[in-house]
Amino acid sequence: MANLLWLQGGACSGNTMSFLNAEEPSACDLVTDFGINILWQPSLGLELGDNVKTILQKCISGEIKLDIFVFEGTVVNAPNGTGEWNRFCGRPMKEWVKELSAAAQFVVAIGDCATYGGIPAMAPNPSESVGMQFMKRAKGGSLGAGFVAKSGLPVINIPGCPAHPDWVTQILVAVATGRAGDLTLDEFHRPKTFFSSFTQTGCTRNMHFAYKVSTTAFGQRKGCLFYDLGCRGPMTHSPCNRILWNRHSSKTRAGMPCLGCTEPEFPFFDLAPGTVFKTQTVMGVPKDMPTGVDKTGYIKLTAAAKGMAPAWAEKDIFVV
Amino acid sequence: MSAAIQTLDISPVGRVEGDLDVRVEIQNGVVTNAWTHAELFRGFEVILKDKDPQAGLVVTPRACGICGASHLTCAAWALDTAWGTTVPRNAILARNLGQIVESLQSLPRHHYGLFMIDYTNENYAKSPFYEEAVKRYSPFTGTSYEAGVTISGRPVEIYALLGGQWPHSSFMVPGGVMCAPTLTDVTRAWSILEHFRQNWIEPLWLGCSMERYEQIQTLDQFEAWIEESPKHANSDLGLFWRMSKEIGLQHYGKGHGKFVTWGYLPHEDKYQKPTIDGRSSAVIMKSGTYDGATDTFGPMEHIFTREDMSRAWYDEGKVVHPFDRTTKPISKNAVDPDGKYSWATAVRHSERGALEAGPLARRLIAGNTAGQAFQHSDGLVLDMYRKMGGASIMLRHFARMHELCILYREAERILREFKLNDEWYIKPTERDGRGWGATEAIRGALCHWIEVEGGKIKNYQIIAPTTWNVGPRSTDGQRGPIEEALIGTPIKNQHDPVEVGHVCRSYDSCLVCTVHAHDATTGEELARFRTA
Repeated sequence: MANLLWLQGGACSGNTMSFLNAEEPSACDLVTDFGINILWQPSLGLELGDNVKTILQKCISGEIKLDIFVFEGTVVNAPNGTGEWNRFCGRPMKEWVKELSAAAQFVVAIGDCATYGGIPAMAPNPSESVGMQFMKRAKGGSLGAGFVAKSGLPVINIPGCPAHPDWVTQILVAVATGRAGDLTLDEFHRPKTFFSSFTQTGCTRNMHFAYKVSTTAFGQRKGCLFYDLGCRGPMTHSPCNRILWNRHSSKTRAGMPCLGCTEPEFPFFDLAPGTVFKTQTVMGVPKDMPTGVDKTGYIKLTAAAKGMAPAWAEKDIFVV
Repeated sequence: MSAAIQTLDISPVGRVEGDLDVRVEIQNGVVTNAWTHAELFRGFEVILKDKDPQAGLVVTPRACGICGASHLTCAAWALDTAWGTTVPRNAILARNLGQIVESLQSLPRHHYGLFMIDYTNENYAKSPFYEEAVKRYSPFTGTSYEAGVTISGRPVEIYALLGGQWPHSSFMVPGGVMCAPTLTDVTRAWSILEHFRQNWIEPLWLGCSMERYEQIQTLDQFEAWIEESPKHANSDLGLFWRMSKEIGLQHYGKGHGKFVTWGYLPHEDKYQKPTIDGRSSAVIMKSGTYDGATDTFGPMEHIFTREDMSRAWYDEGKVVHPFDRTTKPISKNAVDPDGKYSWATAVRHSERGALEAGPLARRLIAGNTAGQAFQHSDGLVLDMYRKMGGASIMLRHFARMHELCILYREAERILREFKLNDEWYIKPTERDGRGWGATEAIRGALCHWIEVEGGKIKNYQIIAPTTWNVGPRSTDGQRGPIEEALIGTPIKNQHDPVEVGHVCRSYDSCLVCTVHAHDATTGEELARFRTA
């Protein structure tokens, strides 16, 4: 039995919607099979009988033990640092976030907004949004670089826009079943079990990547999206092609370039003119290399690969 | 009860999503006045200024994670009209399928996850249907709740086959779509639809075949269908209908009685050269307005749209067309029922004033027999509207769920129409210009305006269905649609005013609304609860 409270700040509810697609376990299974007691969630159907505010206050006072505090969306500070542009239960949400985080055993930030600021925090950041414990790559965020929850862990970041439901449910089950000790986090507080491999790991276009065969325009079945269409799969940490989306696919499999949404810089280049769905290059060489590859190595590797590419690589292997 | 006026405050809807608050005044147990106010501002229009023209494809689906496919649809068509693209037949079908499966997902998710829970409220303990409602609709453990919420994830699996994931793919782009599905994607999609039908639509929702349900064309035929078999009467649809009537949900939540839809689902052979002006005559689901008082239909085009900011937290004139907006938020955001009180603007038709958006609006306008042969017509909800005394909580929610079979059939048609070896994308030439894209999200009329100048976004504006419905008063003092619909709502228990929740939830306003009731004389808080 673990009490869970889930609130939303500068959010689109996408992580809640993604969460409701969960299958193993499903959102209902979490409650009925794993004893997670959802105290309140903005979209899930719990009747409160009385009021949300009382529940929040009881969590803060300790009258209700708050095992897991989940936050979705940015922490809004506008205008002028007051947080009044995101009021909840009569006061700025950021005040609730601070007090509830201090009372919780585990604090979990879900989605890119809550982890690193995401789209609302993109320049010019009109809502003065930040993440729970980061602002883009910089540690700090709303709660401060030194924050740790009662369990001793800092904010557990589950990034992605949205986060995959399994990333969320598996962390919740780990905590609820007493396996939180197995959680190891990387420098951006992401669980290593999910975010050490790359989005490209398991992508069906890997053979085309290897032979530098490009998808030159959308709507093609062949090729790799990295060379022309701006795909960030080789330098983004996520299990999107290991743990498939909605049971079937991933963006890169379907033909959509990875946007790098599990990395703190998302959205990359602040979506400046010329940067959307186009690989940024200097003298024909990508500005951002696959992680760990240097420019000289890349040029040698791709020249050799292209020269040795088999004839089938230029044909459509994913045929009707 | 004294005739003293008591005040109820309702909380969290941003401009396109987020947090809605509502304040209601109650006298003699009935709502006599109401204010809806949005309590979250993220500034997506501000963020999009000066960005890449295609930035809207990435940003706007993330304005709302619930209607992301609908935003993407608008963003893509807006760029198509601005750039003057050619969109291949397959791509039009794929976009429509993406829109449809998102809506199919939302039907059980909203019905069980948000709407029916209120039927288990103690307020209805004396209803003969109460015990059954508790058994089926209790959160997480109700038999229909668990089945319905869990199966709601299946239709968007089809979205993942096209776009890689739901929510938040950007697979629709000017000139077409990013994907090129194969036969196995199509056959998987068929099997997902079949599963949804065999495991929810027919056994749980209808208690009969889709074909039998589709024969119903009038209110009388619908009620005869309920009587025809205990399977129909005891299905989730049958129970919704009978219990709603028994607890009186056909009697309030009326609203202005004026409706709007942009229409949607452009026909694959009629919109390959998309223009703003050509859209209404190319959509399968008709656009238009309907005025219940005079029982008349009217046309709807984007040029009729106005945003009135006299009561909203912006400093940019009073009434403008979205192309002329500048999105200047103000920092003094105290709620002032006599002045400014919301982040939502008051959206108005330049001639018809405040209009209600949503499935009820779509279904009423579908009842218009005028239109072209390829356009969908269906008179059931219009017949119900005329015979049941206009809009109500019950009819609004019925209209939403009635779209299930209609959307399902259109999804099937699309799967038959894909020509897998034909093109999915035609690379467009980027250029400056103005564009407009629209669709119908499950909860109503959604559209985007874009102006591209010097290769970047000069102005991007979004009007969401919730903006239409939840907006505040206009300069002339006319209430917004939900504000109006709340008038006359009976409140049985002021400490748990579930009736106010019914009204707000019947509009499926985006996300968290918290209702909290205050005694006007003592200021004591009486109750607070969620409405969505």
